[in-house]
Amino acid sequence: MMIRVKLIANYREALPPEAKHGVVELDVPNGTTVYDAISRFDIPLNDESVIVLNGLTVDMNTPLVEGDMVTAFSAIAGG
Amino acid sequence: MYGWHLRILRVNLTTHKVTTEDVDPKIARDYLGGRGWAIHYLYKEMDPMVDPLSPENVLIFATGPLTATPAPTGNRYMVVTKSPLTGALAHSNSGGEFPTWMKRTGFDMYIFEGKSPEPVYLFVNEDQIEVRPAAHVWGKDVHETTDILKAETSEEARVACIGQAGENLALMAAIMNDKHRAAARSGVGAVMGSKNLKAVVAMGNKNPALHNPEEMRALSVDTSKNVGADVKKGSNMRIYGTSYVPQVTNTLGILPTRNFLQGTFEGVNNIDGDALKNQYLIRHTPCYRCPLSCGRLTEVPDGPYKGKGEGPEYETISSLGTGCGVSNLAALVKANYLCNEYGMDTITTGMTIAVAMEMYEKGYISEEVIGMPLKFGDHDAMIAMIRKMAYREGFGNDLAQGSYRLAEKYGHPELAVTTRKQEFPGYDPRGSQGMGLLYATSNKGASHMEGDVAYEEVFGVPVKENPLTTEGKPELVKHFEDSFALMDSSGLCVFVAIRYAFNKDRMILPQRLAEMMNFSTGAGYTPEEALKAAERVYNLERMFLIKAGSVPENDTLPYRMLHEPLPDGPAKGKVVELDKMLPEFYKLRGWDEKGYPTKEKLIELELPLN
Repeated sequence: MMIRVKLIANYREALPPEAKHGVVELDVPNGTTVYDAISRFDIPLNDESVIVLNGLTVDMNTPLVEGDMVTAFSAIAGG
Repeated sequence: MYGWHLRILRVNLTTHKVTTEDVDPKIARDYLGGRGWAIHYLYKEMDPMVDPLSPENVLIFATGPLTATPAPTGNRYMVVTKSPLTGALAHSNSGGEFPTWMKRTGFDMYIFEGKSPEPVYLFVNEDQIEVRPAAHVWGKDVHETTDILKAETSEEARVACIGQAGENLALMAAIMNDKHRAAARSGVGAVMGSKNLKAVVAMGNKNPALHNPEEMRALSVDTSKNVGADVKKGSNMRIYGTSYVPQVTNTLGILPTRNFLQGTFEGVNNIDGDALKNQYLIRHTPCYRCPLSCGRLTEVPDGPYKGKGEGPEYETISSLGTGCGVSNLAALVKANYLCNEYGMDTITTGMTIAVAMEMYEKGYISEEVIGMPLKFGDHDAMIAMIRKMAYREGFGNDLAQGSYRLAEKYGHPELAVTTRKQEFPGYDPRGSQGMGLLYATSNKGASHMEGDVAYEEVFGVPVKENPLTTEGKPELVKHFEDSFALMDSSGLCVFVAIRYAFNKDRMILPQRLAEMMNFSTGAGYTPEEALKAAERVYNLERMFLIKAGSVPENDTLPYRMLHEPLPDGPAKGKVVELDKMLPEFYKLRGWDEKGYPTKEKLIELELPLN
């Protein structure tokens, strides 16, 4: 199934060159979780990162469905 | 005494008489400095019912015990007065260089009273204190004024001034310092303009003596090193400033779009941090002694929006940009430059234009009245409105009153997204419930800087809270409000101070700030005492508010936030569930069920009972 991963700001450095505006499309097997998808990228998988599924706060073990968007950014106070 | 000078400069603008006075060390300790000292004096000396634009209003510039010390970002000052926009309290914070230069004059605080018969500026070089004519800079913008006053005083001096917006009493007028930095919110620039005070020019060599300079330096080096080494956390600020935030809030569906009609913006990629970095960024411009460096010098090299200046940062992108449906980055950058030059708060400016755009599209305000079409996304019209506001020309006179008065005049006050008549910043609280409670109860009307719980709800600092739930939010809001009162009183910038909150133990922040203030002042605060003093400051501000007539009944949110569910994005279908949070918040604050501080609370905080 096709899902998308979006990385924001400095995390974009971890994306492959084909990514556009920080978004990359991935073909992943059924049963792939939020954690599985995001752990393909070289970003911290702890409290230093905020990871959301379709913009919502979810458990990292939530299984993905076709068309989902997983987004990650560095936890930092903002404007 | 250490840390504080314990000296105040008092300027009677009516008579041009200048006096100096000492500060009682107990008052200094109990109210911390900066924002805390200012509300103590304002509450004691001024009738909160005065007309904010009358000579009876008092305007205070206040530094803190960490301003002009080696503490990282120890370079902030507060402007405190009664707000002409909200009728409540204004306390606006700024950095740059001016705050340190002001404290080096040997005074912690300047108090301005009365109204000068003609335009003047204040020049302070330690004991040389002069109220000087300013007719030659009246009518000039912030950049010209700054250049002229430095040329005629000293290149070593630093300038805080108003532009045309402040002179013309536009209610979104800011006080700008070092050209690009703003004590922006609540119309503090209009108060300065009403006093015919064009500028304050400060210089001197009186750094405050430190109680423990060795420990202070060691702690400061350690903090700077941590911030610098903290690549994942710190580099976003270094690279983008806050301009990376639109992508975050758009993802969460809380990016104010078209006057909060939507929570996501289809053109976000055109105006985000990467677009700015790739097209117009020249270099970073840190405030004095800042290891973070979130300011950015930018330039639009050619075309109709040619210009050079600082910004935009997030709040400008979410107001003049997405708030107005504008996705033309060059126009947005130019709009930011204009606001800095005229001396205007970009949030209130942008969101006031946004409500006018909505009213135009709905047919409530005609093209004839405005003088041109004013559709969402029309960046040229947006830019035209900024000048009209600053000069109060034609329809600009309506705009210059802010969004609430504008919407009310044309029969639809429900379209203004304000609390206490102040425009919301860039976090739609329907998808960030804690921010809703914060806006509803803030002592200065809607503001993220009153206690930015978006740090947890949006940015995961120190832990990610679900922004769509209300559980635990009253306690979170109270803690952040008190912590921000502590930071604003200390003279530190919240961006570095909040870094201490990268820890699940919520006492780390007051512990670190108390340590720093002790190294500076020798006052011997425990973390609990420091936090208690901040709570004292917050509650005295609340008392001021109530006496000013901005009563607890105003602790509410505009119609759109309570009754119009977000139509799009992850928070689709949500409104702010304020009634689930407000009673618990009052209880945690020690206020009665109507929102008034109880006698017991006032006694506990050693505050006046009337």
